[in-house]
Amino acid sequence: MPEGGKIDSKQAIFLMVSMVLPTTFLFVTSAIAHLARQDGWISILLATLTALLIAWLVANLSRRFPGKTLFQFPEVILGRWPGKVVALLYIWWYIQVSSEVLREFGSFMVSAFMPDTPLIVFELLIMAIAAYTVRNGLEVFTRINQIVLPLILGSFVILIFLATPEMNLKRLLPVFIENGAAPVIKGAVMPAAWIGNIVTMAVLIPYLNKAKEAYKIAVSATLITSSFLISTFIADISIFGPEVSAGWFFSALNGIRMIHLANFLERMEPIAMTIWIAGGLVKISVFYWVTVLGSAQWLELKDYKPLVLPVGVILLALSIMAHDSIMDLLTFLGTIVIFQDLIIFQVGIPLLLLVVAIIRGQVGTGIEEKEGGKQG
Amino acid sequence: MIVLLMLAFVLIIGLEAPDLVKKKMWRELAAFSVFLAIGMALAIPQVYGIRPFEPNAPIEALFKPMAEWLKKP
Repeated sequence: MPEGGKIDSKQAIFLMVSMVLPTTFLFVTSAIAHLARQDGWISILLATLTALLIAWLVANLSRRFPGKTLFQFPEVILGRWPGKVVALLYIWWYIQVSSEVLREFGSFMVSAFMPDTPLIVFELLIMAIAAYTVRNGLEVFTRINQIVLPLILGSFVILIFLATPEMNLKRLLPVFIENGAAPVIKGAVMPAAWIGNIVTMAVLIPYLNKAKEAYKIAVSATLITSSFLISTFIADISIFGPEVSAGWFFSALNGIRMIHLANFLERMEPIAMTIWIAGGLVKISVFYWVTVLGSAQWLELKDYKPLVLPVGVILLALSIMAHDSIMDLLTFLGTIVIFQDLIIFQVGIPLLLLVVAIIRGQVGTGIEEKEGGKQG
Repeated sequence: MIVLLMLAFVLIIGLEAPDLVKKKMWRELAAFSVFLAIGMALAIPQVYGIRPFEPNAPIEALFKPMAEWLKKP
């Protein structure tokens, strides 16, 4: 097996939270308020339910094939060549996800902080660091994340507390009556696709030291992520109201700019930038690692390390050429990619695989027996 | 620009290839070369301002109706 690392359950939860939260908290309010207005928090709740179903689906599927990742078990289920095709689709998807995340990272740095610097500078720098961490393996960026994520979540909580004087919860009213159900459901699609990236659990489960806890990990990671997204949403809406929030790219950043306490505690943007860079690094590393590992497993290589740099080149080149501007990027992410992710990769294929596995009676020969054997 | 890019590719080959040859990991070397060739094919045209292909066009065409549904008030 190309990757030899093992991580424990807490590290896995942290990793799954980092995989979604750091880059989405900036976009979440404007993206949802645009559709569901002040009822967006209901959208996020709906999205959480969807993501929990996805998590259940993936954990269930993955536990039937212990020791095999998302790129290996389709072969067992569907036969060699159809399985290879499915795995190839997933490799393409992860290449796409990684390059979009990279582009998001670079675009944010350029448009929010340093408008005169070329995009490639930020992307190249973060990619070089990510390549180094990915070459060192799963355990390395998991441990980075173990240091980084508590800092991120801590600054999150502190920032929300500092912003409370600006908030007015009446801006969240009226609940539901004004809009009805359709906008709320439309608003739920995007957060569902974001939190639905929990499907990556199917790659991670073989590297857990307690694979039995896969359900618990997926569920707790989803709940932590969505509770932070909901609090960001409520904070932003109660500072600005839905109309204003919907008009910005980065409403959370503007919320942080509003912090103004006792004439000296202000200008907190660097904290947002720190969250973005630290969390972005971990997020890019996770997807980059999954892409490289997937390619290596698809080609049945002994080691994935030789592929790290070439795949990095592909990701960089794709992320630069895929979009003209941040407008194009956000429109594409917000209207096209979310359907592709949800329908095909997060629900469609896993559900198909699970149904076929159940029909063929592949109940899973494994984790329990193996672990029981070890203990006995 | 093109010189810098070539230098980057030479650096990548220099970092990875000798080790693979020494350990006789031919399968890995082949995969490495193919991926690097794809990377070069994507990167070099961009120096001259050409997009080799539109990666998002097929997906955009496929999910256009749903995007329209989302945009409708």
